[in-house]
Amino acid sequence: MIWGFLLAPFTVVLSLNYEYFVTDDVMRLLGVVVCAAKVSETVWEMDTNEACSVENGIINGKSNGPRLVGTADNLSFSSLRKKSDWGLVAHTVSSLFRQLLINLQVVILGTKVWLLFLAIPLAIMAQYLGYGRVSAFSLGDATFPWVFALSLLGLAPLAERVSFLTEQIAYYTGPTVGGLINATCGNATELIIAILALYQGKINILKYSLLGSILSNLLFVLGSSLFFGGLANLSKEQKFDKNEADVNVLLLSLGVLCHTLPLFFQYSTEAKLSSANAKSMLLLSRVSSIVLLVAYVVYLLFQLKILQQLFVAEQNVSEGEAEEEEVVIGFWSAFGWLVGMTVVIALLSDYVVSTIEAASTSWGISVGFLTVILLPIVGNAAEHVGAVIFAYKNKLDMSLGVALGSATQISICVFPLSVIIGWIMHMEMDLCLSILETGSLAASVIIVAFALQDGLSNYMKGTVLLVGYTIISACYFILDPSPSKFIPEPYSQ
Amino acid sequence: MDGSSVEQAFLAMENGGLKGSSKEVRLGKTAHNMSSSSLRKKSDLRLVSKVRCGLIRSFLGNLQEVILGTKLFVLFPAIPLAIAAHVYGFGREWVFALSLLGLTPLAERVSFLTEQIAFYTGPTVGGLLNATCGNVTELIIAILALTEGKIDVVKYSLLGSILSNLLLVLGSSLFCGGLANLHKEQKFDRKQADANSLLLLLGLFCHTLPLVFRHAATSTQAVALPTLQLSRASSIAMLVAYFAYLIFQLWTHRQLFEAQEDSDDDDATSEEAAIGFWSAFAWLAGMAALIALLSEYVVGTIEAASDSWGLSVSFISIILLPIVGNAAEHAGAVIFAFKNKLDISLGVALGSATQISMFVVPLCVIVAWIVNVQMDLDFHTIETVALAFSIIITSFALQDGTSHYIKGLVLLLCYAVIGACFLILRAPLGNTSILNIGNTPTNNQVLRL
Repeated sequence: MIWGFLLAPFTVVLSLNYEYFVTDDVMRLLGVVVCAAKVSETVWEMDTNEACSVENGIINGKSNGPRLVGTADNLSFSSLRKKSDWGLVAHTVSSLFRQLLINLQVVILGTKVWLLFLAIPLAIMAQYLGYGRVSAFSLGDATFPWVFALSLLGLAPLAERVSFLTEQIAYYTGPTVGGLINATCGNATELIIAILALYQGKINILKYSLLGSILSNLLFVLGSSLFFGGLANLSKEQKFDKNEADVNVLLLSLGVLCHTLPLFFQYSTEAKLSSANAKSMLLLSRVSSIVLLVAYVVYLLFQLKILQQLFVAEQNVSEGEAEEEEVVIGFWSAFGWLVGMTVVIALLSDYVVSTIEAASTSWGISVGFLTVILLPIVGNAAEHVGAVIFAYKNKLDMSLGVALGSATQISICVFPLSVIIGWIMHMEMDLCLSILETGSLAASVIIVAFALQDGLSNYMKGTVLLVGYTIISACYFILDPSPSKFIPEPYSQ
Repeated sequence: MDGSSVEQAFLAMENGGLKGSSKEVRLGKTAHNMSSSSLRKKSDLRLVSKVRCGLIRSFLGNLQEVILGTKLFVLFPAIPLAIAAHVYGFGREWVFALSLLGLTPLAERVSFLTEQIAFYTGPTVGGLLNATCGNVTELIIAILALTEGKIDVVKYSLLGSILSNLLLVLGSSLFCGGLANLHKEQKFDRKQADANSLLLLLGLFCHTLPLVFRHAATSTQAVALPTLQLSRASSIAMLVAYFAYLIFQLWTHRQLFEAQEDSDDDDATSEEAAIGFWSAFAWLAGMAALIALLSEYVVGTIEAASDSWGLSVSFISIILLPIVGNAAEHAGAVIFAFKNKLDISLGVALGSATQISMFVVPLCVIVAWIVNVQMDLDFHTIETVALAFSIIITSFALQDGTSHYIKGLVLLLCYAVIGACFLILRAPLGNTSILNIGNTPTNNQVLRL
C-alpha cells in the first residue's frame, strides 16, 4: 500500500511526460521500482511464524561471527533506524522475492528519514525535465532550483544508508577491516563530490565545501551536541576521554599548519608572484598532502588498535540501550546495495556540483555561503542528529568521535587526497585557502582545543561553539566571498 | 666543594673509581648532562698507567678522556681536515661540510667539560655554566655572523635551532619512546613543560609585535627605527625573564628540575671528576677556540655551499645547521625516551629551545646594539608563522602530562612540512639579493627573501 501511494504520482507524471526521458538507465531504475511496488502489493498479508523463521535463519547463521567494531559513526546512525516489521514480508511467493523484499525493507525503510528517499527520483526527474534551468513547466516557481534542492535532500538519507551498509559488511570482514571500511566510507559523500568537482574544474567550490565540512563538524555538530547534552544532563558530570580529543586536535592543527604556510608565503613577498613561485606553491601543497596522508594512515592504525581494546568494555555497558548489532542482510546483497547507493550518490553529487551556481543566482545567496554553510549542514544531517542523541544520553565519547573524527578525516584524508587526485588529473588543486577561510579554520581549531582540553563539558561550551559557528556563517553570508575575490591571482578560476 | 675533597676524589679515582660518591659530588646534574652522558664511554686508564713519567701520564690520561671519551670521536678528524681544506683552498663547500662535521663532537665535548668544571664550582654555578654553555655552538655562530653583518643567517640559524629542538628532537623522542613503550603509560612532569611553554610564548609574542608593527605601518622606511627600538626593549625584557627562570630552575624550585636518576643505571658516568679543574678549563678554552674557528669557516662559506648544492641559504641555516649542531643532544634525548625517562628528554629539548629563544636571541640583539649592527626581532612572516605553530602545537601536545607515539609523529610531520616549505618556497630565485647578504651589513630591509 505504501509503495502504491509513493508511486502513484510518479506514474502519473511519467505518463504525461514520457517523451523527455532520454536515457535508458533512468528507465531501468524506475522500472525496478515499479516492479517492486507491484510485488509488494501481494505480500501485504503475511504470517508472523514464517517471519520468525526467516529472521532466525538469517540471524542464527551469523551469531558466532566477529563482533562489529562499532565506531561512533555507526552507533549514531543506528539511533536513526527502526526495526523493520518482519510480519509484512514473511508471506512472499518465492524465497528469492522474499530476500529481495526483506533487503528492500531493511535498507530503504529501515531508517526514520526514509521519506527523504522520495527526493532522489524527483531530483532525477527534475534534472531531465529541466526544472532547474529552463522554465518548461509552470509547476510553482519555474526558476526555483529544483534539481539542486532535491539532490541535497536526497543525499541525506543516502549517506546514512551507506553507513548502515558498511556496518553490515563489517560483520563479515572482521573488526579491523570493518573499522577501515567504516572510516573510509564515512567520507564517501565528500570524496565523490570532490572527484566530480575536480573533474569539472571547479576547484574553489571543492575547497570551500571541504572547509565547510570541517567547520560544520567542529563547531556546529560538536557545539549542538555539547549544548543539548549539557542541558539534558544539568545535574550530572559530563566527562569524555581526553586522549582521543587530544589526538584529533593535534592532527587538526597539523592540517591548519599545512594550509597556513602557503598562504603566508603569498603575503610575505613584496614581488608579484611569478609563475615559478606559483609552481613551487603547488609543489609544497602536494608534498604537504603526502605528509598528511601519512599522518592519516598512522591515525587509522592508532584508532583501530585502541578501539579493539576499548570497545569490548563499552559493549557490556551499553547493552540495554544501544540497538542490537546483529546482521540483517547478507554480505553480497549488502555489497550490491552499497554499490548501487554509491552510484546514486555520485549521480546526485553530480547534479549538486553542476547546478550550484544556478541555485546561487536564483536564490540570491552567494556561492560561498552555499558551499561553506548549507551544503555541509545537509550532508552531515544524519550524523548530526546521531551525535546530539548520544550527547543527550551522556555518551559524550560517541559524539566527540563522530564530530571530531569527521573533521579530522576530512582535514587529513579527503583534502590531501583530492590534492593528489588533482595532481593525477593535472588540475591545479592545492591546499591554499584565502585568508578569511584560513583564519576561521585556525580560530575554530583553537577554540575547540581549548574547550576540550580538560575532559569535562557543560552547556556553556556548546553555546560558545554554536555562537562561533553563527558568526562564521553570518560572515560568509554578508561578506559574499566570491571565489575569485580573496584568493590571489594564479588561483582564481 | 673545597680543595681537600677534590684531592680525595682525584686520589680515589686513581685507585679505581669511587663507590657511591657522596651527595655533594652528585650536583648540577641537569637533563643536558644526563643526555650527553649517554654518548660517553668510560675511558680505559690501564693503557696509560704504563707510561712512567707522571706528567706525561696525566696528560695522556687527559687526552684519552677528553678526545676518546665519546662515541663521536670518529668525527674529530674532520677538524684538521677542515682547516687543511681552508688553508689549501679546496672547494668552499668542502670547507663548509667538514666544519659542520667537526662542530658536532666539539659541542658534545664542551658540554662534558662544563660538567667536569661544575664538579668543582658547586651546584649553582655549575648549573649556570651548564645552562649557558649548553648552546655554545649556536651562540658563537650567531655572534660571528653578526660581526660579519649577515643578519639573516643569524636569524635563520637561531630560528632553526628553536624549531629543531621543539619539533625534531622532541618529536623523535616522543615517537621512538612511544613505539618502544607501547604497553606502558608514558608520563612526564607537567610543571617543567608548562614553565618552558610560557617562556616560549613570551618569546613568540616579542617576535610577533615587530612583525605586525611593520606590516601595519604605511611605509617601511619610517618604521625601521621604532622597530629596532622595540626589539631592543623586548630583548632586555626577555633577558630579565630568562634570568628569573634561571633563579627558578636552580634555586627556588630546584626540586622540579632534578633529573630522574636510576639507581641501577650502570652506564651513566660515575659521579666523580675525571680530570682536574685547571686542565678542564684549559681544554674548554681550547675547544672554544676551535669552535670559533670552525664557525667562522661555516659562516664564511655558507653562500658558496648554498650555490653549489642548489639549496637556499635559509634552508641551510634553518634545517641543516641546527640538525648538525644538536646531533649529540638529539641522540641522547631519543635514548632516554626509549628508557621511558621522558622528563630528561623534555628537559633537553624544551630547555634548549627556551635557552635559545630567551637567552641567545636577545643576547644577539644586545650585542648587535653594541657593535652598531641593526638586528631586530622581526623574523619574517613565514618564519614567525612556523615558529608560532610549533610552539602552539607543542604546548597542546604536552599539556596533559602523558605521551604516545602519535604525538611524536605529529610533531615530526610538522617539522617535515616546515622543512619542505623552506626547501621549496625559498629556492634560490636567481636574483642577486641572496648573494648580497654578506655585503650589506647594516640595513636588513632589502633582505626580505
